[in-house]
Amino acid sequence: MSGITAATVAAPSVLSGGANVIAVGVLLAEFGMFRQALLRDQVRLYAAQSALISVLAVVVAATRHLPDLYVLAVLSFALKVVIVPIVLRRLLRGIGLTGEDARWSDIAGSHALSLASTVLIAIAVAAFGFFSVAALGIRSPVLPTTALAVSVAVTLVAFMLMIVRRDVISQAIGFLSLENGVSLTALVVAAGMPLILEVAFLFDLLVVAVVFGLLIRVHHGRAESMSTADLTSLRG
Amino acid sequence: MSLVLPIPVVQCLQVVTIAGAAPGVSGLISKVEARLQGRAGPRVLQPYHDIRKLFRKEALAPDGSTWVFLAGPLIAMTCYLTVPLLIPVLTTFGLPLGYMGDILGGGFILSLASFMVAVSALDTGSPYAQLGASRAKTFGAITEPVILFVVFTVALVTGTDLPYALAATVRSSASQIVRPAHLLAAAALFMVILYETGRIPVETHTGTNEFGMIEEARPFEHSGPYFALLKWGSAMKQLILYTILLNVFVAPWGLAATPDAGSVLLAIVSLVGKAALLGVVVAVIDNSFAKLRLFKITEFVAAAFLLAVLGVFTLYLGGG
Repeated sequence: MSGITAATVAAPSVLSGGANVIAVGVLLAEFGMFRQALLRDQVRLYAAQSALISVLAVVVAATRHLPDLYVLAVLSFALKVVIVPIVLRRLLRGIGLTGEDARWSDIAGSHALSLASTVLIAIAVAAFGFFSVAALGIRSPVLPTTALAVSVAVTLVAFMLMIVRRDVISQAIGFLSLENGVSLTALVVAAGMPLILEVAFLFDLLVVAVVFGLLIRVHHGRAESMSTADLTSLRG
Repeated sequence: MSLVLPIPVVQCLQVVTIAGAAPGVSGLISKVEARLQGRAGPRVLQPYHDIRKLFRKEALAPDGSTWVFLAGPLIAMTCYLTVPLLIPVLTTFGLPLGYMGDILGGGFILSLASFMVAVSALDTGSPYAQLGASRAKTFGAITEPVILFVVFTVALVTGTDLPYALAATVRSSASQIVRPAHLLAAAALFMVILYETGRIPVETHTGTNEFGMIEEARPFEHSGPYFALLKWGSAMKQLILYTILLNVFVAPWGLAATPDAGSVLLAIVSLVGKAALLGVVVAVIDNSFAKLRLFKITEFVAAAFLLAVLGVFTLYLGGG
């Protein structure tokens, strides 16, 4: 194609391209949470999203020679992909997560808006994330700026998830995946963050999962439903 | 392999390949689909026999229909015969007529074909044909932005929107393949193709479920050679879209680099092979998912739109 001189966006290296693809995968998992109709699938999608972040941590560790990150990847995999989903599943066992009673495992109708409009608004929110990162001009030595923009978009879209879905489980998962967005940001901006800090965050997360699980149980016990719409009657 | 084909012959071969192989690919998909469901299924060559049979039957037009009813299938077929001139079907180098139009040009011609089919369906006054035409246009309007964003991605990646340029870019290095913009655009295009060819998350391709029909409902009133043209045309549209996905986005390998008879023949075989593989994938998807309710199709399209828009976003920061 000789003679074509228009400006093109050059391809990043295979490594940064791959890292960006993983980051985009995290964002797509976040969008997938808008659609999930069952508690079980929502928790599974969260585990998949967390697994992607661990993979990204391993990729960064291997290519940038940061052995700390291997520990972080293993710890984050153990906690977010294995333990937190198990804890949530155990705490929610009585209320349909195991699929005994379809009434409680179904969270399909908890959208405040139609799914298509939700996705369009979320795209706008993600766009805001992308453009604000571009405007801030933050650069990272380890990963491309696109991954940073994606991580900011993940955080914002997780907020959207908590706002537009009116069931407790999606809101809890929204909060947990918001943490995923933040840890993706941490990975991009400061891959060499002190390990002790990361570990402290991860254990905080475990506490959050337990507290959420208990709150969901209590809510379900009182309101006999997973919907937070019933809480509006508490207004004074 | 010293026989060098004249360029116009290669150009004609592009059209002949698409027109000749299209019913076979459709037949293969229905065969694989049937096998996956444990049925014997029709022969792979069945669509050829159907088309031959229909060409020998008489054509009837409903009372009160005008010339548009009969012109629709002819114009649509002409469009489907034109598009293979514009896209890289067999060669890596642009053929003389390949520069008549870019991806958008090809898209316009495909839309003209679908518009003519819709208009000739409307002309019949039959409720089902009109229903199909109206739905096809409604949902066509919401898939259009997805295609536009895919084209934007291509334009940002290559600086042009000639399909030959993107195929060359993809072939040039591995970093062009793993970049997220490319993967997202290809995935979005694949979802649009599932919609455009009336495959499962959107529409059941076979059967007589009139209420869920979109594309398949339009030729209800056509008969004889006109119906044959519509059937053949829709098979060709499917293979054209597969060719765009395969030879431009996903696997632009195996194309002829010179107009040499041997490599052109190899290109024909590899195109048919790749299309058959893609057809098997589509058949598996057909069997693994349920058809979406008509009003849920917007969600499917919104997902495709999301992928296409994210592709452009990732390019915006220069990392896509």
